[in-house]
Formats: sequence, structure tokens, C-alpha cells
Amino acid sequence: MSLDVNDLAVYYRTLRGDVRALDGVSFSLADGEIMGLAGESGSGKSTLGKSLIRMDARMRHVAGTVRLDGAELPVADDARMVPFRFHQVSLVPQYAMSALNPTRRIGRMVRELVRSRGVDYAGVHPELLRRLELVGLDEQVLRRYPIELSGGMKQRVVMVVSTLLNPSLLIADEVTSALDVSTQRAVAEALAGFRDRGFVKSMVFVTHDLALVHQIADTIMVMYAGRPAEKASSRTIIEAPRHPYTRMLISSLPEVGVTFAGKRLQGIPGRPPGLLDPPPGCRFRDRCPLAFDKCAEQPPFAEVAPGHWAACWKAE
Amino acid sequence: MSEMEPDVRAVQAAEGLPAQAGPPERRLGESLHFALRNPKLLIGGGVVGALLLTGLVAPLFVQEGPNVYVGPQAQAPSAQYWLGTTNFGQDVFAQFVFGLRSTFLVGLVGGGIAAVVGMVVGFTAGYRGGLVDEVLNMITNVVLVLPALVVLIIAAAYLQARGIALQGLFIGLTSWPWVARAVRAQTLSLATRDFVDLARLSGRRAHSIVFREIAPNMSSYLFMTFILLFGGAILIAAGLDFIGLGPTEGVSLGLMMHNAVTWGALQLGMWWWFVPPGLGITAIVGSLYIMNVGLDEVFNPKLREL
Repeated sequence: MSLDVNDLAVYYRTLRGDVRALDGVSFSLADGEIMGLAGESGSGKSTLGKSLIRMDARMRHVAGTVRLDGAELPVADDARMVPFRFHQVSLVPQYAMSALNPTRRIGRMVRELVRSRGVDYAGVHPELLRRLELVGLDEQVLRRYPIELSGGMKQRVVMVVSTLLNPSLLIADEVTSALDVSTQRAVAEALAGFRDRGFVKSMVFVTHDLALVHQIADTIMVMYAGRPAEKASSRTIIEAPRHPYTRMLISSLPEVGVTFAGKRLQGIPGRPPGLLDPPPGCRFRDRCPLAFDKCAEQPPFAEVAPGHWAACWKAE
Repeated sequence: MSEMEPDVRAVQAAEGLPAQAGPPERRLGESLHFALRNPKLLIGGGVVGALLLTGLVAPLFVQEGPNVYVGPQAQAPSAQYWLGTTNFGQDVFAQFVFGLRSTFLVGLVGGGIAAVVGMVVGFTAGYRGGLVDEVLNMITNVVLVLPALVVLIIAAAYLQARGIALQGLFIGLTSWPWVARAVRAQTLSLATRDFVDLARLSGRRAHSIVFREIAPNMSSYLFMTFILLFGGAILIAAGLDFIGLGPTEGVSLGLMMHNAVTWGALQLGMWWWFVPPGLGITAIVGSLYIMNVGLDEVFNPKLREL
């Protein structure tokens, strides 16, 4: 197991109390696994992604442990996380456009970054060139300012830089949401290529685009209101989801080749609960067509079939 | 072999060796291109440069000190005394060139100190945030509402021996607050950018992030701030000198005007005594401001005219 998250709880501090953005999240990631992390806004998927690399000042680690390659990741301790970042855990930020300092040449920026990680730059330079070539950039880009690159080029540069030190875990936080559809796919495939070549061991791909994540991810975890709802192979999630939320989520997506002239696409009625003071029990209860008495009790995130976890009493 | 060449260059650059890369000159060249085509910058820079050169070089050719009684009293400009003499027989030209020198010195010291203090306070407050920001902001606001001229008058009145550098120091220590506020605001906005966040993620130290990631993004602004402070310090110094609280030794343009007024140059029609220093101050400060507008046009691509 590459990554093992156990009962992770992260709250946001606000004046009105804690917002339970992550409340008891457990899952694991196998070596070489790309996990798509999907869910609607506010489901905690970005919080989970951030928790694994850097908590910001408002986030408070309440409970749970994260183990990466058998070693505990001190997620709550910003200073102790420093040696892990880029070496073990790395991040592809959401907006590559603003991820590069406009006043620095890219080559210089990479040099400073690599040095700040205590790595000799001359040693990684050939590898850097090789990887740039892999994503279709020549070494000229190192002598350019970010403003001289297109959005897609910047995104590729950022991907190469963030995986340069062969991290064990890569977190891609909504990397494709600012790109057009054809670039999205190229970026997603480049990331999958990085995994295939062993640049990164495993990857968490945070997105709300199920169609895209389905193409590159091995598994998909769907989150709802701060908790994982279901995790299974991408195929299973799309074709045979067991959690009612996942089912409704999938059914609300348009399908290629199907005409919706006669019927409207179904959304999910209702709204997710506020996380400031969430109701006890299953958090999807209010919107769930299958809800029954037992749902007042929190269902465990249990393995309902080999490699298929769901948090629902009726998922069996 | 063409594969090898970029490699070598990058390694050279990595080891801090001078690489013969083109782009730095290209970028510098771009700024220079616009700078050389900007009339405001050229005129302003030319006037300031000429006066600076005069202030630096001309005193070397003055035989006696500026306050020595060398010649006939109250004489109009002549071939021997280019700008005439004062009531007491001092050479106005000698005073003027020495005055220019001290005026630039006051601008440099005052503007420099104000710029440094303002930037340190602004960067720290904007980048650190929280309690540090609150405290620094409070100090800034207090200094901002202090009537700087009154403080300077009191300070100047209490100090027995006052030099030009000391005057510059006091001016610098009272004129930094607006710089601190402006720099803080810029830093606050830049600090939330992704690249700063990522630099922080890499565990770099705060000062290295500020100097390498944040400051270069506002370098043109910082430079222009310094120019404005420079001009401002000259004006404040001239004001202090004029009301008689200038340096007790030496000479400055403001002091010349003070003496001219005190000893009745206006009533006696000795225009050569008070016009040169007045014109000098106006020319320096005015040219600096014009130069500032020109620099803005050079640095800010949106204001450029091709």
C-alpha cells in the first residue's frame, strides 16, 4: 500500500465553530494507482487533497493518521512536512497560469526549487530535459519567462517540475478545470504517462469531472459532505455503483449518443447538509430515495465487494 | 553536438558561471528601447543628470569654500563672479554648486532611509499578517498622522550642531509611512498568488520569498517610490532650511534662500542671490517628477506607446 489514510478528520475553524470538512475519511491507495476524487463543491475533496500536502492556517487536524510507504506523514505539522514535500508528496496546482513567478525565467525557478529541496541541480538537469521533451517541450522553455508560454505549456511545465523528484504521491487538484477540453485530455494523459513511467508512484486526481477522471483513473472515490461515499474501480463506479448518491450522480450525467429530447436529465433534489453542525447518521439521508430508519446511524465505509467500498446500509 | 550545447550552458548557469544567454540583454534592451524614446524620461533625466554633474564636479574647481568672503559685496553677475556675490562678498556660484551637492545628498539620504524603512515595514506587515501586521500598521498610522514638519522643526531646534546627513536622517524617519502602506497593500495582494504559495510550500524562508518572489513583481513600483521620496526629501529640506532650521555648517539651496531673504536681497533687487537656488530646487524636483511619469510609461506596458 502506497498511501493509507485512516479516519482522517480535518475541520475549518470559523467564528461560528468548526466546519467539519473532512470527518472520518479512510481509504488506501495501491502502488501505481491513480485515484479520481470526485464530488460536488463542498464535499471535502479539495480539503482532502490539501490535507495530504499542506494544511492552511484555518485547517485543523482533529484525528486520524496518514501513512505513506509505511512511514507516518505528519500532516498536522507544517514544519515537519517540509522534508516530505516534493520528495514524497507533490502537488500540481489548480492554476498553472499563476503558479509560475512572472519575473523569473523558468529554468532559474526550477533551479531554485530543486536547490531548496537540497538536491544538486546539475544531477537532475538531464532528467528535466528528458521529461520536458516527453511532454513536447524543448529545453528552450527553461530560458523563457512564464508569460511567453501558452496555458497548456505552462501546465505541462508545472507537471514536469512537480514530479521532477519522483514523488511517491502526486496530488492533482482540479488541474484540468481551467483548460479547454482537448488540452484537458492531453494533460490527463500526460499525468497517466508519468505514472506509467514510474515518475510518481500513485496519484490523487481531484476533480468534479467524472467523464474525464473515468478515462485516466484506476479507481474513483466519490465524496459526499466530508465523507467518502463510495470507492471502486472507475468501471464499477460508472457501470455498477452501489451507493445511492453515486447512482444519482452518474444518472445526472449526459450520455454520448443518447438523445434527451423526451426526458429531462435528472438532477439530485435537495442540498447537501451544512457542515458546521451536520446531522447525525448518514449525511445523504435527506436526499436519499432509499433512506430508512437505520440511516440515523452512520454507515461504515465497508468493503462490499473485493476492491469496492461503500458507506451505505443498503449497498450490500 | 547541438544537443550538448544547451546542456553545458545550463550547467554553467547552475554553477553561477556567467552564461552567454541572450534573453537578459533582450529584456533590458526592451526597457532601454522604450526609455530612449520617452521624451519625458529623457528631458527629466537630462536636467537631473546635468544638475547632479554640476553638483559633483563644479565644487572641485571652486578655490575657496562657499562661505568665504572672497570678493566685492553685492555685485551683479560678471565674468569673474558668474552669479554675482552676496551682501558679504560670498561667491553665489560657489554657494550654488555646493548647495546642489548637499541638496542631492539630502535627497539620497532622506529618500533612501524612507524607502528602506517603508519597504521593510510594508513587506513585513503584508507578508507576515496577523498580529505583526496589526502592530506595524498601528505604528505606521501613528507616524502618518504626526505632523512631520512640526516634529522636524522641534528636532532641528533642539539639536545644536546640525549637518546635512542628520537632516536627511530625520526626513527619512518621518516620511516613510505612505511607502509602508502602499508596499503592504501590494504585498498582501501578491502574497495570495499561487506561485508565492508554492514557494512557501517548498519550505523557503520568508525573506527569500519576499525578495525573490514578491519584490521583483513590484520592482518598477519600488523604484518610482524611491524617486518620489527623493524629490519629497529635497522639498522638505528646502522648507526647513528656508525657515532657518537647516544645517548649521555648510550650505544648501534652501539656506541660500533663507540668507537672501534675511539680508534683504528681495528689497535690494539682488535677483542673482535668490533666483538660482529657487530655480535649482524647482528644476530638480520638477524634473524628478517628470522623470517619474516617464519611467512609469517605460515600465508599465499598458502605458507604452509604440
